Amino acid sequence: MTRLAVRQRSTGRLMIFGFLSPTLAILLFMVAYPIFSLIYYSFFNFSALRPAAGMKPVGFGNYKFLLSDPDLWQRFIFTGKFVFLCVTLQMLIGIFVGYQLQKNFRGRDLIFTALMMPMMLSPVVVGFLWRYMFNSEWGMINYLLTVVGLPKIDWLGQTTAALWAAAAADTWMWTPFIILLATAAFRGIPETINEAAEVDGASPAYRFFRITLPMSAPVLFIALILRLIDSFKQYDLFFALTGGGPGSSTETVSFAVAKTAFSYFYTGEASALAVVLLVIIIGLSMILVRHLNKMGERF
Amino acid sequence: MSRSRTSATDHVARWLFLGLLAIYTLYNLGPIFWLLISSFKSRMDMFSMPPKVFFAPDFSGYQSVFGIGAAKDSASAYGVFDSLLNSVIVSTVGTALAVFLGTLAGYVCSRFNFIGKSDFMFFVLSTRMLPPVAVLVFYHLMFAELGLADTRIGLILVAIFANVGLATWIMKGFFDGVPKEVEQIAIVNGYTRMYAFSRLVLPMVKGGIAATAGFCFIFAWNEFAFASILTTTHAKTLPVKISAASGATGIEWTQICAAGVVLIIPVLIFFYLIRKHLLMGMTFGVLGRR
Repeated sequence: MTRLAVRQRSTGRLMIFGFLSPTLAILLFMVAYPIFSLIYYSFFNFSALRPAAGMKPVGFGNYKFLLSDPDLWQRFIFTGKFVFLCVTLQMLIGIFVGYQLQKNFRGRDLIFTALMMPMMLSPVVVGFLWRYMFNSEWGMINYLLTVVGLPKIDWLGQTTAALWAAAAADTWMWTPFIILLATAAFRGIPETINEAAEVDGASPAYRFFRITLPMSAPVLFIALILRLIDSFKQYDLFFALTGGGPGSSTETVSFAVAKTAFSYFYTGEASALAVVLLVIIIGLSMILVRHLNKMGERF
Repeated sequence: MSRSRTSATDHVARWLFLGLLAIYTLYNLGPIFWLLISSFKSRMDMFSMPPKVFFAPDFSGYQSVFGIGAAKDSASAYGVFDSLLNSVIVSTVGTALAVFLGTLAGYVCSRFNFIGKSDFMFFVLSTRMLPPVAVLVFYHLMFAELGLADTRIGLILVAIFANVGLATWIMKGFFDGVPKEVEQIAIVNGYTRMYAFSRLVLPMVKGGIAATAGFCFIFAWNEFAFASILTTTHAKTLPVKISAASGATGIEWTQICAAGVVLIIPVLIFFYLIRKHLLMGMTFGVLGRR
């Protein structure tokens, strides 16, 4: 008995080590090492384009420069507006459609599968597709506006219109993700609870707000955080849709990192900005994981 | 009396909901339809106003995507075959390795308690949260130094790193759904833990492995940021090639639409194959345990 237990424990240890070390190794090499290097580089005045010029230590100079740069604040504000718009629209529409789709009706699986398609397109294709449709002269969307008698809008030529255009494209692409999670969550609620409430005379609205929503809250919360983080780091869509324009008014923080690093080759400065971005994202991720762990205990 | 009033409001509400659902369906599927028909438009039809829904189909977009027919020798020939091949190799190999590693790590995280487990799991998941541009700044330097720049091996490494965290979490969810007694009974009967894992538990999560592979493939297949910075000529993937379709004559819309259609086909096939396991995989297994 004890010998079996001992043998089991040692194979267990061997298994833990053997099964985890390759993943750990690749992640240390591809994540931890780059991040530590990034932090290191962020304290230097350094360009990847001219490595011969060397690395001049500047202490917190890059950070001071960045945080006093009004352009950066403008990018944070733009990113914030974009995240707020996207997440609000996607959660509202996603929960609504997900609620409708949890009911059984003919052809539901087909509609459900079809609705998932936008999510599976490459973000670059999505960006170009919407750029094509948002074209101010021959785009489909302005044509539809003129059909119903509204004036044409220069979608990608004005900051506010471009913000809404980007939000429409992101919402188009990612609402299916919320629908998927919401439907899953709603269908996970035992039917008996709803039936009992119905017998007691609870109205559909009451059942939705007092039973369905609270009981699916954990999964909806995962969806919310994932969308928060994803839209916060959005880069591909803007690359293809607006190119950051007009001017630099639709540049997200991610976009600014890429531009600083790969257009201007201010590597040190880009590293500092990337560190700031990382700190925010890691903070958001920690909220998610804490919540996931709590749920793990509950189920 | 009050009963009939309730059913009348119910009736109105139902039609209202159906109407809103129809509007959303239009918003959701319209652009897909537009992408599909635009890929068959000629350059002229592409810019006609009002936009044409009926037109003589033109295959020049697809011809230049695959570098065949009239477009073969023209300057705008897109010659996407190389990048298509790159995309296929990078996403399949990257997915296979990420799922392999994620399955092993997911099993251990599901079955064992060890020091630093929650830290490990957070670290693994954080890779999914990481903004690509943040690590890209350093990859750019590191890849040049290691000779990995513009190679498929480099992109495969990126695909593993980008997906292994997701794979670990999803697989942990599927392993959690397998009762622990499976291993206990096997061990009591004199089999090793390794045997129990590979011969008993693994076959039970086959569907989960397929779902995980589907997710990883979709992400790897559509990945753009890494591939666009880390490749220049040889290892370009299809999304990067598409983004480059803006030449002196402006953006080649027919090519972009055709390439977009080509790009979504394998993903749709994968999606169809894993549709049954999709819900569980997407929720990290939280729902499966109810």
